[in-house]
Amino acid sequence: MSKKKLLVMGREVIKNQAKGPVTLHISERLEKHPPPEDIRTIPRIIEEKCIMCGTCVKVCPTHCLWMEKDDKDNGMIWLLRPQCMWCGHCQTYCPKDAIHIDREPSLSVSLFSFNVRQDYEMICAKGSFKGEKAEKKLAEVIEEGAKTIKEIEEFRS
Amino acid sequence: MAEDFRSRFRVLTDGSDTPLGADHHIFIGPQHPWAEEPAHFIIHLKGERVVEANIRIGFNLRGMEKAMEARTWRQNTMLIPRACGICSAVHQNVYVRLVERLAGIEDQVSERAKLIRMFSCEAERVHSHMLWYGILAHDAGFDTLFHVTWRDREIIMDIVEDISGNRVNPALMLIGGVKRDLPKEKADKARPMINDLIKQVEYHKKVFTEETSIVNRLENVGVLTKEDAKKVTPNGPTARGSGLPYDIRKTFPYELYDDIDWNVVYYTEGDVLATTLVRLDETLESLRMLNQILDRLETASGELLQRVKPRISEGKYMTRAEAPRGEDIHYGIANGTDKPERYKIRAPSLGNIDATLKRMDGEYIADMPVILRSYDPCFSCTNRVMIINQSTGEKKIMGQDEFARRAIKAKKYNRPFF
Amino acid sequence: MSDALNELENILNITIPKDLVEGVVKVEKGHFDVISPSEKAYDLMKILHDDAGIYHLSTISAYEKDDSFNVCYHIQHRIEEEVKEIPINFIVTKIDKDNPKTPSMIDFFVAADYYERECYDFYGIYFNDHPFMERLILPEKWPDDVRPMKKEYSWEQIREITLNLAKQISEDD
Repeated sequence: MSKKKLLVMGREVIKNQAKGPVTLHISERLEKHPPPEDIRTIPRIIEEKCIMCGTCVKVCPTHCLWMEKDDKDNGMIWLLRPQCMWCGHCQTYCPKDAIHIDREPSLSVSLFSFNVRQDYEMICAKGSFKGEKAEKKLAEVIEEGAKTIKEIEEFRS
Repeated sequence: MAEDFRSRFRVLTDGSDTPLGADHHIFIGPQHPWAEEPAHFIIHLKGERVVEANIRIGFNLRGMEKAMEARTWRQNTMLIPRACGICSAVHQNVYVRLVERLAGIEDQVSERAKLIRMFSCEAERVHSHMLWYGILAHDAGFDTLFHVTWRDREIIMDIVEDISGNRVNPALMLIGGVKRDLPKEKADKARPMINDLIKQVEYHKKVFTEETSIVNRLENVGVLTKEDAKKVTPNGPTARGSGLPYDIRKTFPYELYDDIDWNVVYYTEGDVLATTLVRLDETLESLRMLNQILDRLETASGELLQRVKPRISEGKYMTRAEAPRGEDIHYGIANGTDKPERYKIRAPSLGNIDATLKRMDGEYIADMPVILRSYDPCFSCTNRVMIINQSTGEKKIMGQDEFARRAIKAKKYNRPFF
Repeated sequence: MSDALNELENILNITIPKDLVEGVVKVEKGHFDVISPSEKAYDLMKILHDDAGIYHLSTISAYEKDDSFNVCYHIQHRIEEEVKEIPINFIVTKIDKDNPKTPSMIDFFVAADYYERECYDFYGIYFNDHPFMERLILPEKWPDDVRPMKKEYSWEQIREITLNLAKQISEDD
């Protein structure tokens, strides 16, 4: 190898040493590259606007929204979070614009969390369903979910 | 004609049904380091040369067509992009155009909505092609190029993410229009990025045409002549590499493709290098189209979303679109209710298998990865009809927990999923 | 019908015998439905392939119509000078549901192989003279008499069959 080539190589090495690595650590990359503003996550309902028409439940492609109601002022809607695929159909077809899609990136986690308390969420409870009844239902749903999770864990061991 | 292409009509090698002269049989897949997705290739060899090749598919069935019959037209808008992992926007585009036609509102879709749909489709073509030629370089043993292309692919992924909120599945289209607007700020942000990417893709093209180590690997490998291509009916870039200049955006224009300025790319050599160059040139064309679309969006106006009733009147219609891999064709039959009577999807990969098997005849076994890659295999496209809908975790068919249980069992006891 | 038939004949530059065709529908500009009963479909396709020079088959879709099966061949007439395609939906009607048999078009299109086998898998339509009418997509141990895309099978039934199959296979192992 000639001296000239060695010199060229040496220069490149020193240059790269000074520049530092090209790849970024994941935390660094997140700082430099924040998630987009319009990121889609799970739906949120403004309770005052909701009329309990059930459109969101009907148009949901994955059946992740469930609903129980008496009339338009009394009812509740709960969400099975890991099943939601953030398509935003509920937002598009809501006749009262009561639903919007949350833009918190940390919520954009899907699939099994194996933590049922996180998986179910009461996103809207109105009138007489508010408070005790909603909490009871949520506890029921969580219990049901916990049973299946338990079965899976038993199966695993 | 069936006699000329007998290779497919073989059962499997228990020794009784081997082709004449073959002394070795190599099985690729369903699980293989080469393939990201499951398919089973059976390659009969004489020495180092391929005598015949065969394929078995059906390892990735999800039952989409049956699933669609159980859902409403509106719900299916979000199921249909899951037909394919990477060309999701074009499937959605075909679907919404089909439903709009059946509902009789295809004229009411505004220019702005159409332009945003086109933007989504073209951006997808860019990132799909870049992914493909990156992996091709990897298969050809040129990993540097693989890393370079995938690094540059992040630019277009960022644009898609910025306008839609998702990286790969933009899901922007709805029956009657689009979901969200493409405002001026985002267009201004995207324009310099697109111009950067054009320079990068030109550099990739330079590497693919001038770097001898990769040209030697692709040139005159797996030649598919025009006459053969007419018989085995490939579509998309595979056909355009063999001198069939058919691109549905030109031959049967949809959206506003006849309104903007672009060229069909085709090569006549028919080898793997030609299909690669078709894709490279198409990437450049698509990027230039993206710039044009952004320019037109500044003045284009109109309602983003038309109101469509959930019930679709009786009728049947066939729509096609040019997906990154080729011709995507859907056939839908409506029966007057809010659910489809029958919905048929044919994604491009299935149509290209014949051509790829034809390409293999008489080639070296060492060239197999490149030839198999040449049609951009996508097996979630190829087998999309069966019973279990795993992708959405749909409860009616198979609950999440059942799915998980089965998966765990399969893993634990080393058993097949079914 | 006759207007659409004449237009199609002009485009393809052939004459189609009236007795082979059940109907021609113009769907939109340059997009036709050609309907033909299953006994005469082979002869009509022969004319379209040999005389008009149609060589591209996009796909085949089968569906149920009342008490018969229909099979739709989506073929493209290509005009190379103008870079233009005329999509034609070639619909084969009147396939008996109890004994579904129809001529195979594999003599004209190699690509018909996969698509016809797919129809055979999902609907049980048997294509006469196909050299290798075997299962393409469904699992090997799938029961032969169950054709999952038929309307008579609901979601629940198919799910049950699948689970039974899975159980059976895991026990066999």
